[in-house]
Parts: sequence; C-alpha cells; structure tokens
Amino acid sequence: MDPIISLDDVRVTYRRRGSLFRKGACHDALRGVSFEIYPGETLGILGRNGAGKSTLLRTISGVLKPDGGQVLNHGASVSLLALQAGFDLDLNGADNAILSGMLHGHPRGQVEAHLGAIQDYSELGEAFHAPVRTYSTGMRARLGFSITTIVSPGVLLIDEVLSVGDKHFREKAERTMVAKIQSQQTVVLVSHSHQQVQRMCDRAVLLEGGKTFMTGTPEEVLPSYEELLRRGSAAQGS
Amino acid sequence: MEAFPQHPPGFLHAAELAFRRDRDPEGDALLEKARDRFPEDFSTWFTSAKRLLALGQMDQALEFNRQARVCAPENAGGLIQQAELLMAKQDWDAALEVWEDIRERFPQAPAGHVRGAACAKEAGRPKLARRILLERQFGASPPDLVATTDPATESRVSQTRVGHMLSLIWTKAVFGLRAEVSRSFLSYGWWILEPLLHMVVYQLVFGFLLNRGGEDFPVFLLSGLIPWMWVAKSIGSGSGSIIAGQNLMLQVGVEPAIFPLVSVLRATLRQLPVFGLLFLFVWVMGFPPTTAWIWLVPLILVQAILITVFTCAIAAALPFVRDLKHLVPTGIMFLMFLSGIFYDYRTIGEDWQGFFLLNPFAFLLKCYREILMAGQAPDLAVLGAWGAGGLLSLFGLLSLFRVLRYQYPRVVLR
Repeated sequence: MDPIISLDDVRVTYRRRGSLFRKGACHDALRGVSFEIYPGETLGILGRNGAGKSTLLRTISGVLKPDGGQVLNHGASVSLLALQAGFDLDLNGADNAILSGMLHGHPRGQVEAHLGAIQDYSELGEAFHAPVRTYSTGMRARLGFSITTIVSPGVLLIDEVLSVGDKHFREKAERTMVAKIQSQQTVVLVSHSHQQVQRMCDRAVLLEGGKTFMTGTPEEVLPSYEELLRRGSAAQGS
Repeated sequence: MEAFPQHPPGFLHAAELAFRRDRDPEGDALLEKARDRFPEDFSTWFTSAKRLLALGQMDQALEFNRQARVCAPENAGGLIQQAELLMAKQDWDAALEVWEDIRERFPQAPAGHVRGAACAKEAGRPKLARRILLERQFGASPPDLVATTDPATESRVSQTRVGHMLSLIWTKAVFGLRAEVSRSFLSYGWWILEPLLHMVVYQLVFGFLLNRGGEDFPVFLLSGLIPWMWVAKSIGSGSGSIIAGQNLMLQVGVEPAIFPLVSVLRATLRQLPVFGLLFLFVWVMGFPPTTAWIWLVPLILVQAILITVFTCAIAAALPFVRDLKHLVPTGIMFLMFLSGIFYDYRTIGEDWQGFFLLNPFAFLLKCYREILMAGQAPDLAVLGAWGAGGLLSLFGLLSLFRVLRYQYPRVVLR
C-alpha cells in the first residue's frame, strides 16, 4: 500500500527572538523525523514531554513548514482537531460551534445544517444558546469536542484530546474516535496513555529528542517508551 | 449408563472417564455407540468432535461438528467449536468468517470477540484483531456519530478558498460585534455614545475653553471626528490582531490576512450607523443635502481602502518588529493631530498646507467638509489617485501575506 503522507528527515527549528539585553537562541524541535502514514491506519505518536510531538502534528497539518527535509502529502486533506479553537466566551455555544466548524474548513451553511447534531452530541441542552462564559470547564470541553461530529478530513490529527469532560463524556468521546477509526478514517493520535495506544493504534512512532526513535506495532514500541520514561525519571532523581 | 440407556449424558460421561484413565479404545467405542443410539443429540456429536480435535483428525471432527450444528442450530457452542477446529486446521479465513458469524448472531458470547481477535492475530492481521476488540468494548461503530462530509471534497467543490475566507471574515466580524455588544448594558448604544462623548470633550476644550471655531464648530468637528474614529478604531484594534491570532494560526492554520481584515470589517460595520447619524446631524444643523453628497460614496470607499491598507501594513509588520507595538498608540495620536480634526488646515501656514494634505487622512477629512459643509465636489483627481494607490498597495499586501503565510505562525511563537 502507498502512504498518503510521507515524512522524510523533517527538521524544525524555532528561533527565539533576542533583545537589547539578551541574545536570540535556536531550539531544534525536530531534528530528523521520518515515517509514513498509510491510508486507513491509526498511528500513535509517543514521546516524552518536549520530544516534539505537537510540533510534529503542526508540521503534518501544514501549519508549519519544515526547515529541512520534507512532508510529502499525496493528496489527502489533513486537519488537526483543535478543540475550542477560536472560542469567544461572550458568544453562545451555537455561534462558537459555527466559528469552530468554519475554522476547520467547513462552509458556514454546512455547519449550520449540522447544528442540531452538534447540540445533541454536546449534551448541553438549552445551555447551547447561552454565552460560553457561563459554562463550566466540562461543558466547554463538551462543546469543543462536539465539533468532531462534522470534522472528518482525509487524515485526522488528534493531540491529547480524548481526556475531556467527565467520565461519561470521555467514554463518548473515545467511542466517537473509535467509530471514526472503524470507518477507515486515517488517524494520527498523540497520547500519553499506554493503554489507549495499545488498544487503538495499528502502529506507533516513538519520538525522542526530536528524532524518530522507533517505529513499529504498539507491542514493539511501548516497551521502549516505558524504558525511556524510566530512564528519564531516573536521570531526574539522581 | 445401564440404568438410563436412553440418556446420552451417561455415555458421554463414561467416555470422558475412560479417556481420563487412558482407556482410549473403550472411550471411542462408547462415543460410537452414543452416535449410533442418539443421532439427534447435539452433545453426542459435540463431544465426539472434541475428541477428534484432541486426536488431530480435523476433517472428521469438522464433519461431527457439522452434525452437532444440524441438531442444534441455535447453540453458539457448535459454531464456536467449528471456528476453533478451523483455527486448529489453520484455515484462518474460514475461521474468521465463522467468528464474524458468531459475533453477529451471538453478540453476548465473549468468544466471538476474544477468540475472534486471537484468530485474526494468528492469521497475521493485527489491525482486524484490534478492531474486533474495540468493537467488543464500544459496540459496532455507531453510524450516526460519523460524519460523511469531508471538507476536502465536498466543500472545496461548492466553495472556493477565497469564498470560504471571505465568509469566515464576515462571520468572525459579525460574531465579534455581537460579543462586544453583549458585554455592556447599553450594548449598541455605545456605538453612538462614544463619538458623542468625544465630541463633547473637544467642543468643551476647543469651542468653549479656547473659544475657537465659531457657530458651525460642532458640525466642523463632528464631520472630521467621526470619519477619523473609523480610522483610529480600525488601526487600533487591527494592528495587534495577527499576534493575537497566534493560537488559531497554530491550531487550524488560518491565513494571517484574516485577522486584520476582520478588525477592519468590524470597525466598518460599527461605523455605518454612526455615519448615518452624522449626516442627519449635519442636515439638522443647517446643511441640507446637496447633489455633492453623491461624492460621499467614492469618498467613503477610498477611505475604506486606505484604512485596510494601513491596518494590514501595521498588522503585517508588528509580529516581526514587536517594538512597534509601543509606537502604535502614539502614532495614531500623532496622525490624529496631523489630520486637522479640530482645526481647519487653512489656518496653518500656506507653505505647509501642501505638505499637510499629503497625509491621506487629512485630505479625506478636507473632502468630507467640502462635501458636507460647502456642498462642493472634492478634488476627484487626488481622491482617485489615493484610491488607485490604495488598491495597488492592498493587492501588494495581500500577496505579501501569501508569501509570508508560513512565516507568521513561527514568528509569533518566538
């Protein structure tokens, strides 16, 4: 099978701005990441804090252009699931849902046509028409996640979002993701949950220090990830 | 066994006992007898198939299993045994089919998922195995939760990128105004109150304390102040908009040009009713509309273009030169004093008037007063020149935004 996205030695460097009293500095977020994403698969991205996971997703989604190497997209639409992106606390849930849907690339009419489904999914009831500033954190998370009812790009990138809301909603969110995975949606998932990666992912990529450390099935990769975590905490402890 | 010759379990238990005692021929004989006597009994065939599975005689075992399933088609055990036999035979595809059948017909039987997944794994299909296990936990995919719309295919056909961008700008601007209005008790009232308050202050200082202007000073003041406030509001809110849009650019990759354009549109939408009031005020104060008022249309248009250019240019530069941020408020104030809002440009030295009117906003304010107070057409050549120059710069800026599209998300990260 041909990959739909291939990353070849992708490098991203952030430059920190200097000032009159401080020199600017460089920070290599990614220093050579290569792997392939195949259609229909669920790929887990593992790595310790600062390993470059978020930068990697931004690069795949096309928000960031790599400084070196290349991201070859063989014609797939890619969307990073950005919960609560562009939320305006003074607007009501419906308006925010429309904005969020449009920011994910959907025409306004299409989002409005799905507004009922979004409201049902969010389980907000009448609060859907109240300003978001009156919402609890959990309600905001639910509204944010309900946008996934319409977001269905060729490749869906997810950054640690399956931990929203209370237990009931978290299960619902996970069920939705599983439904998408089952429906042959290509998913790239950043997760810290060992269990989640094992259950959901067909393959996993382990990042360390901005490089691909290992690629393989979750069963192959997870032990190495554990080892890295152990070594990391041991280094911190000493 | 002898006491209940019509009862199959007796034979089957006796056979099992014989196998345990390593008296295999005796057990096999008992099973054969049971099959002869009770060809209609499920457990007879089932136990026989199990025995042959232990012996590794798969084909015969499958045949017995078939008999068992004929006897009791509604018994999940028969199907499960068949699948296990096929797995023992390493006939993976056939086994997977049977497991699927089991999951469909007997969703409560854990074996359908657990052993089915094990089968898929053995067959070298880990993905299918994972899917089967997830299905056990979450149920088969609920179709109502899965959208069928793909922005790449569906929307891009019906709507171009530019169309989507424009609709996004419009929606963001209108929603932004709605949010702004909801924040205060007087809501829309502030759109009118704010310029009025400004006017009161300037009238007090310049008209009353400094005794400037004369009778028509309120009209003079307002016809300069209100167009100016459009400029100040737009530049003031739009200059930092790209920096403020950092999160959105990083999350969903929106075009940076959207942010200043939304600010301009917001300021413009707010301005429209205020303009209406200005014209009404001018009329009431003794300057009725003349045919020259037609020129207000191109004048407002040119002003809109110039405002967009200035706002976009400052917004484009700020992320690269953050220090400019501190200069923006001072710059706006400087521009305000140089635009002749509370004094007539003719009161400055004649040598300097030409220079003064090089400031496009000073020129525009002069045009407003010519139209509203003197009933004259403005200098159309200069107005046209500013309009054309503004449009050209606007296209230049928009292409600059395109070129720098990937620079901005990085620059704001610094």
